[in-house]
Amino acid sequence: MPQADPPGPRAEPRTGAVARLLAGPEQRSLEDHLSQHGPPPFADIGRGGTDTAALITAVERAGLTGRGGAGFPAGRKMRAVTEAARHGGPFRSQTGTVVIANGAESEPASAKDRRLLSHAPHLVLDGIVLAAEAVGATRAYLCVHGGPEMLRDLREAVVSRERAGLSRVPVQVVSVPAGYVTSQETALVGLLNGTGARPSFVPPRPAQRGVQRHPTLVLNVETLACVALIARHGPAWFRELGTPAAPGSALFTISGAVTRPGVYELALGSTIGRALEEAGGPAEPPQAVLAGGYFGGWLPLPAARRAQLTDQSLRTSGAALGPGVLVVLPQSSCPLAEMARVTSYLASQSAGQCGPCRNGLPALADALGHVAFGRPGEDLLRWTDQLLGLVSGRGACHLPDGTAGLVASALAAFSDDVRQHARHGPCGRAARPPVLPLPEPPPVSPVAVPSPGGTP
Amino acid sequence: MTLTSAALAPALPGHATALVVTSASPLWYTTRATGLIAMVLLTVSMGCGLLSSGGYQRPGLPRFVTIGLHRNASLLALAFTAVHVVTTVTDSFVSIPVQDAFIPFISGYRPLWLGLGAIASDLLIALTVTSLLRTRMSYRAWRLVHWTSYACWPVALLHGLGTGTDTPVRWVLIVTLACVAVVAVLIGWRLAVGWPGHAVARAAGAVALVAALVAGGTWLAFGPLRAGWARRAGTPPTLLSHVAPRPGPVAPGRDR
Amino acid sequence: MSADERGGMSGDERGGMRAGKHGRMSAGGRGRRNRNQPRELRVNPVACQAHGVCIELLPELISADPWGYPVIAPGPVPPALIPLAERAANSCPTLALLLMSPD
Repeated sequence: MPQADPPGPRAEPRTGAVARLLAGPEQRSLEDHLSQHGPPPFADIGRGGTDTAALITAVERAGLTGRGGAGFPAGRKMRAVTEAARHGGPFRSQTGTVVIANGAESEPASAKDRRLLSHAPHLVLDGIVLAAEAVGATRAYLCVHGGPEMLRDLREAVVSRERAGLSRVPVQVVSVPAGYVTSQETALVGLLNGTGARPSFVPPRPAQRGVQRHPTLVLNVETLACVALIARHGPAWFRELGTPAAPGSALFTISGAVTRPGVYELALGSTIGRALEEAGGPAEPPQAVLAGGYFGGWLPLPAARRAQLTDQSLRTSGAALGPGVLVVLPQSSCPLAEMARVTSYLASQSAGQCGPCRNGLPALADALGHVAFGRPGEDLLRWTDQLLGLVSGRGACHLPDGTAGLVASALAAFSDDVRQHARHGPCGRAARPPVLPLPEPPPVSPVAVPSPGGTP
Repeated sequence: MTLTSAALAPALPGHATALVVTSASPLWYTTRATGLIAMVLLTVSMGCGLLSSGGYQRPGLPRFVTIGLHRNASLLALAFTAVHVVTTVTDSFVSIPVQDAFIPFISGYRPLWLGLGAIASDLLIALTVTSLLRTRMSYRAWRLVHWTSYACWPVALLHGLGTGTDTPVRWVLIVTLACVAVVAVLIGWRLAVGWPGHAVARAAGAVALVAALVAGGTWLAFGPLRAGWARRAGTPPTLLSHVAPRPGPVAPGRDR
Repeated sequence: MSADERGGMSGDERGGMRAGKHGRMSAGGRGRRNRNQPRELRVNPVACQAHGVCIELLPELISADPWGYPVIAPGPVPPALIPLAERAANSCPTLALLLMSPD
C-alpha cells in the first residue's frame, strides 16, 4: 500500500465534476474492474497485524467522512469497532466483528448508491473486504433495497470474486424491506439479528454491539468504495480534491427542474451553481434547491448558487450535505404543497415505536396540510412551531428531527409563501405535478408496530 | 390436648363434621391468621399491579402511589407468608418439615393442597427477588417471571381454600370471595382496556377467566364446603375422628 | 442512502457512552461508583409507553408532552435531585428512564 503522505502545502482544490468512483465505463465484470482500478491491495494486509491498522490510519488521514448522510468520520468509526473488539468482555462469546455495507438507498431523491453498485460493484466489494480485514471481521453483509435483478447481479459479482480468490471474507447480499427508516444502521442490525428492520435505542451503538452482539461496522457503499481507492492511492491523493475540512469527492443525485437529472461525481467544496451546471442548468426558472434529501434543508435560488457543497457550509445555511441530494424546485411549484406531501410521506414512514414520533409527525403533516391547502392562522403556525420542538430528538432514530429540520427550513425559506397563503389561501401552483419524488405509491411503513401495551 | 369448642363462628349447619383432637397452640392460630392476611395482601398487590399495568390514574391516585402500594403489599405478603411457613413448620401437632414448604406435593398432610402453597411461595420468592433486582437484569427476563403472578395468586388462593380449616367459616369465606371478586373484576378491566393489538388473546383470556371462576366456584361448593373435606383433602387418618351429625350450629375443630 | 442521522454519532461526541452490562445503562445501576460525575436523564423512546410515573415523581425535570410522553429538561441532573432521579428511574414500569453518566 502506498505510503500515507502528510498533507503538503495546500494547493487550490479542484472543484466541479471529477471521475474517481465513476471513472471509466461500467465495470460489470471482475476483469473490467481490475483493468480499470488495478488489483486490490489485499496482499499487504494480514490479520491483526500492523498493516490492518495502517488502513485505518490512512482512512483517518484522508479525512473520509461517511457518504450515507450522517457524515461521521469513517476512520473513527473503524477504530471504534476495533477498540470494542479488543475490549470484548466476558459477555461476548467471541471478539469477532462484522461489517455491514449499507447500499439500502431509502432516500427517494437519491440514486447514487444504485448507480455505484451497477457501475463499480467490485470497488465496493474491495472496500468491504479491506474494511473487514482492518477491523478483524469474520463476515460481511451487503444490504440493498434492490429488486431481483440487482440482487442477482451483486451475488454473481460476489461469486466471481470467490472464484478468483479475492474473497477473504464471506459477503452475503441481503435484501432490505422498503421503508425510509429500514436502512438506518441499527435497523439493519435488527434485520440481521432477526428482530426486524426497526431502529433501536442507542447506546449501544452497532460499533459497540451489533449483529449477534459483535461490534459491527456499518458504512455506506460509497464510503467503502472510497476506502478501496484510498487503499490503492493513499490519503494524499484523496485530499487532492475537496477542501481541508471536507476532502475528496462525492456522488450527487441532482434532480428536479434541471435539464439533465442524474448522478454526478463532484469534488466537495464545489458550489451548488457548479453542480447545477453539470446537470445542464435549470430546465425552468428555479425558486429554491433542496440540499441533503428529506433530512436536509431548503436554500433559495439564485443565492444558493454560491453555497459550497460541504456539510459544514450547508449546515450553517440551514441545509445539509446528507447523501448528496440536490432537488431543484421551479417557480411554478407551490413549495408548501410539496412540503405537505413530503411531510405526510415521512410521517407514514415512522416505525411506530416511539410516542413522540408516532403522534407528532402525523400532527405535523396535518398542520403542513393546513398551511398548504388552507388559510394558516397565527395559532396554526404557533402550533407547528411547538410541534417542531416537541418531536426533535425524542425518537430512537432521526426521523423526527430530520423531518422537523426540513419543515423548519421550509417555513423559513418560504416565509413569503406562508404569508401569501395566510392572506389569500392556497395558490394555484399546487395543481402542477409534484417535483419532489416519493416512492410510488407511498408505502404504509411495513415496520410499523401496533400501539404498545405489553406489561403483564 | 383438649377438644376445642365454639372456637369460632358457627359453621354451616347440618353437615356431618369430623372433629379432631386439636391443639390450642398459638402457633396454629398464627398460621391461620397469617395465611389469611397474606392472602389479602397478595390480593391488594395483585389489584394494584393490575391497576398499574392498565395505566389507571386518577387525580387522587397517582401512578407512583399505585406502584408503591403494589411493591409494599408484595413485600408484606412475603413477610406474612414467611411467618405463616415458620409457624406451620414449628407447630409440632402435625409434622410438616421445612422442605414441604418449598417442594410441592411431598408432604404427608394434604399433599396436593399444601403443595400448592409451596408452589405459591416459590413463585412469590421468585417474583420478589427478580423485582428487587429489576434494574440489574434483562427487562425481558423480569417481565417473563412477572407474568407468573397470574399463577401465583390463584394457586395461593386454592391452597388456602384446600388446606385452610377456616374455609367454611362465614366471615373467612366472605373475605376470600371478596378477594376473588376484586381480582376478577380487575382482570376483566385489564382485558377490556389493555393490549389493543391482541384481540384474540384478550378474548381467550376473558373466556379463561370466566371458566376459572365457574370451575373454582363449583369446586368450592362441592369440595371444601362439603362434609368430609378433611379426609378427602388428605389429612392423615390419625388426625381425624367422626361425630354424629348434630342439629344447629356446630363448633368446628381443627379438621372436618 | 441510508436514512441516516443528521448530526452523526452524538454519543461519541459526548465522550463515548460505554454500554453497561446488557448494553444499556441500567436505571441507577452504573453511576454509583462515581458519585461526583455529572449524570443526565435520558428516555429510551422505544421502551417508553407513557405510563407517566417519572413525570409524577420528578416534575422538576420531567414534564409531559401533549400525548403523555416525558420531556426531559436538558443538561445534567442537579446533585440535589439525583436521589429523586434514581427513584424515578427505578420506578419506571418499563425501565425506559435511564440515569446515565458519560464514561
